[in-house]
Amino acid sequence: MTTAPGGTNNFKVVLLGEGCVGKTSLLLRYIEDKFNDKHLTTLQATFLNKRLNIKGKRINLSIWDTAGQEKFHALGPIYYRNSNGAILVYDITDEDSFGKVKNWVKELKKMLGSDIVLIIAGNKVDLEHERTVPLEEAESYANMVGAKHYYTSAKLNQGVEELFLDLTREMLEKYEQNSQTEVNRTSQVLVVDDETPVQSSCCSGTKSN
Amino acid sequence: MWYGPNLQRSYKYMMFASKMPSLRIDQSDLKCKNGCDYYGNPQWQGYCSKCHREQMQRQRKAAAGKAVKTSPPPPKPEQKKQERSLKLTSHSSFSKFEEKRLRQSETLKKANLLKFSVFRKSNTDEQDHSERRPPEFKIPAMVNEGMKTDFRVRFPQLTTQVDRDARMFVYSFIMDVIKCANVMTVDELSERVQRHYQRFMKHMEVSPHFAQVDSDTRELLMDFVEKHAMTYLHELPSVVFSPSGTDDERADRAMSERIQQLSWVGEKHLECKLDRNSATCRQLLYKAISELLGMDSAWWAGGKLGRVRRCCRHVLALCAAPGAPASADDLLPALIFTVLKANPPRLVSNINFVTRFCNAQRLMTGEGGYYFTNLCCAVSFIENLSAESLNMDKKEFDCYMAMPASIGGSAWAAALSLCGATREAEEQQAMAEKILAQTQDIERRAEQLATNAVTFEEQIAKKVQDVLAKTPLEIKPRRELPRIGKFKEISTAPLIDLENGHQQQTYQPASISPQPYQPASIPQEPYEPATQPEPRVVVEETTEKLNILGFEVIEKESPSKSPPNPDQNWDLKQTNSMELLTPSPLGFTPFDSRSMDELMTPDEFGSDNLAPGLSNINYDIDLSDFSGENSIADDAPKFDPKDPFSPEALKKEFDPFAPQTSREQYKMLETYDEFSLVDPKTHVQSDPFEVIHRTEGSPTKENASILDDSPTSVCLPSPLQPQSSGKPA
Repeated sequence: MTTAPGGTNNFKVVLLGEGCVGKTSLLLRYIEDKFNDKHLTTLQATFLNKRLNIKGKRINLSIWDTAGQEKFHALGPIYYRNSNGAILVYDITDEDSFGKVKNWVKELKKMLGSDIVLIIAGNKVDLEHERTVPLEEAESYANMVGAKHYYTSAKLNQGVEELFLDLTREMLEKYEQNSQTEVNRTSQVLVVDDETPVQSSCCSGTKSN
Repeated sequence: MWYGPNLQRSYKYMMFASKMPSLRIDQSDLKCKNGCDYYGNPQWQGYCSKCHREQMQRQRKAAAGKAVKTSPPPPKPEQKKQERSLKLTSHSSFSKFEEKRLRQSETLKKANLLKFSVFRKSNTDEQDHSERRPPEFKIPAMVNEGMKTDFRVRFPQLTTQVDRDARMFVYSFIMDVIKCANVMTVDELSERVQRHYQRFMKHMEVSPHFAQVDSDTRELLMDFVEKHAMTYLHELPSVVFSPSGTDDERADRAMSERIQQLSWVGEKHLECKLDRNSATCRQLLYKAISELLGMDSAWWAGGKLGRVRRCCRHVLALCAAPGAPASADDLLPALIFTVLKANPPRLVSNINFVTRFCNAQRLMTGEGGYYFTNLCCAVSFIENLSAESLNMDKKEFDCYMAMPASIGGSAWAAALSLCGATREAEEQQAMAEKILAQTQDIERRAEQLATNAVTFEEQIAKKVQDVLAKTPLEIKPRRELPRIGKFKEISTAPLIDLENGHQQQTYQPASISPQPYQPASIPQEPYEPATQPEPRVVVEETTEKLNILGFEVIEKESPSKSPPNPDQNWDLKQTNSMELLTPSPLGFTPFDSRSMDELMTPDEFGSDNLAPGLSNINYDIDLSDFSGENSIADDAPKFDPKDPFSPEALKKEFDPFAPQTSREQYKMLETYDEFSLVDPKTHVQSDPFEVIHRTEGSPTKENASILDDSPTSVCLPSPLQPQSSGKPA
């Protein structure tokens, strides 16, 4: 999370999840809602910059889609590095995808700690009758890991807008908390940056000692 | 004072030198120089890490203090200016030298470079600080100048203070990076660079200079600053781009080799939907590859990101199915494929450079950041590519890997090379078309120019014609002057002719029309004859009843006598008109004379016609020589009666125009007069007489009034009077 000049908050959000759970659809739905009136032909549904205004704060939301194929799983860290929020998408009709979400949660917790806002999204609620992931299990798991749980349907445009909006609010809250509790502490990277001035240019001394 | 590595190194040598003899190193030598119990390290100048840090901080403080002291030039502005102006030339040459040396140093290894920079600092700092303002001079001037011009182009609306701040920042940034490059690891340097960016960002928020700058422009300014700082630093070897402490170069080579090895990996292995046979697909891939290759030639992170962004857009277009936009699931495999086919030079170095020294904010957000992340993923994937990741049998994979490069890849390579050829052809075609258009344009212009020239010529010709058409009125009188001169010269001859003619006429009866006579009389002036006959005709008509015979007689006798006929008035009028015409050299136009005559002669409005005549007489008076005859005429009233009519007299009026001849004539006349008096039959002699009389006669009446008006008239008589006086005598 960085603060751009002019007080705009930049938040980076990654969409994670197994392939074919509807990450891209969610993003596309969100994009199309946004650009609907403009008739902008969306060449790509991989990346979205969205400007929001929440509580009088200007927020620049960068939403990154990721490749969901299993073979690219190892590339996850490159994607979610420095991100402020992660949307973990699973298919309610696919038990495996939920298991994948659990993996992601573990990984994210391990790599980014509590700095990242997690949201678990059960997609494809329009296929409720084919549901395989029990609702209670999903919600309890979400509560357990401190993530919010949403049911969405990219197809019916259910809960998509709310999901992103809530995510943004939470990220903003977290950001403000961080900036209150620790002055200048904005993100993990910046934490390092803020400490380094003390050691700064006196080279590698402290490390090797 | 901070001597950096110099000191370190020299200290190392010193230690060796002092300890060499013993050939043994004591415990105490290994301990911290400061005397604490920790071990020291030659790298830290013999201190332990703690003491070294303290030491460094102290030194930096001192350096900072010194910088503060030296950086604002001591306030002696007048002296300084003089000095500066004096030393400017030598100084500039010096800075050039510095630049040159810097160039040389670029080829050296990093340590040397640093030494140079330190040397420059210690040397030039103290010398030049006093002469020049601190911030700009050490970095080659072109950086500074480039920034200035670029700033003016990109931010024309911003104040010079912003420009100055930006340049100050870039200066300090570059200096700091160069200073730290040797001492720090790459990661630390990267952090430091990031901190610099943040510092500038904060500066923009805090500084009053940036108060009016909106956030978008601030971002642009941030980019601007980064661009100029990093562009310079990028050129320096092993400072920010593939720094010496890292194995970036080796990684580059390894990567390149690996990509070559993986050239067999096709679109099927990566499960991306690419159609080799589709021309558009090939074109897009080709474009993407060329953009990716172009990444290496961009000098700063932003430029590299821009290349990556363009590349990825092409890739997205490549894998976008009709109707459905491309997703990340499509993008990554296609990008991996593109990277494999492109095999960009120094790929790892470039990626590392961007990750380390690009403004972190941009890298984390923004389109460029996203695509760059994808590129990183692609590279990472390629690095760790295995049989599993391609969903293929391990043995098969190994088989492929063991094979020499360019199996399977050749098809794509051929397609791409074809694509390159077609692209080149297209470019050349476009170029040719452009040139064609240019030549056509030139041709068109040439034609236009030709037509312009023609029209211009026509215009000029027309103008000339117009001018010629207009000017004759003005020019003619000028021509007349010489003509008059001619006339003067010639006048004698025609007179004779006239006289001859008269003689002939006189023999002929008066009834004979004068027309045949006219050409004979005055061949030179066609108009004149016209004028002459009319009065005659009139005379004939008017005088017919009274004395036709007398007319004849008059013509003959005119010299002899001046008969007081009723015709006299008439004659006078005639003469008047003729006089008006004839004596005036300027106003003398045959038309006028004719018209006047016409007006005058047919009707006997003598009194009315006199008035216009007066003005003409004024002209006459201007030429005193010619008008002289008038004066003669004044004297000659006696003769007036002698020649009442006689067109011959009119002819004789021309005489006055040629003063010389006339004078000669006058002399002649004087003699002739006598003769004429003696012998009226000699017509030749008598004619001049008549003329004189005529001229005399008319002015007497008219001139009376004219003389009063015109001052010249007063002058006129004087020269002529002697003649006139001669005459009566």
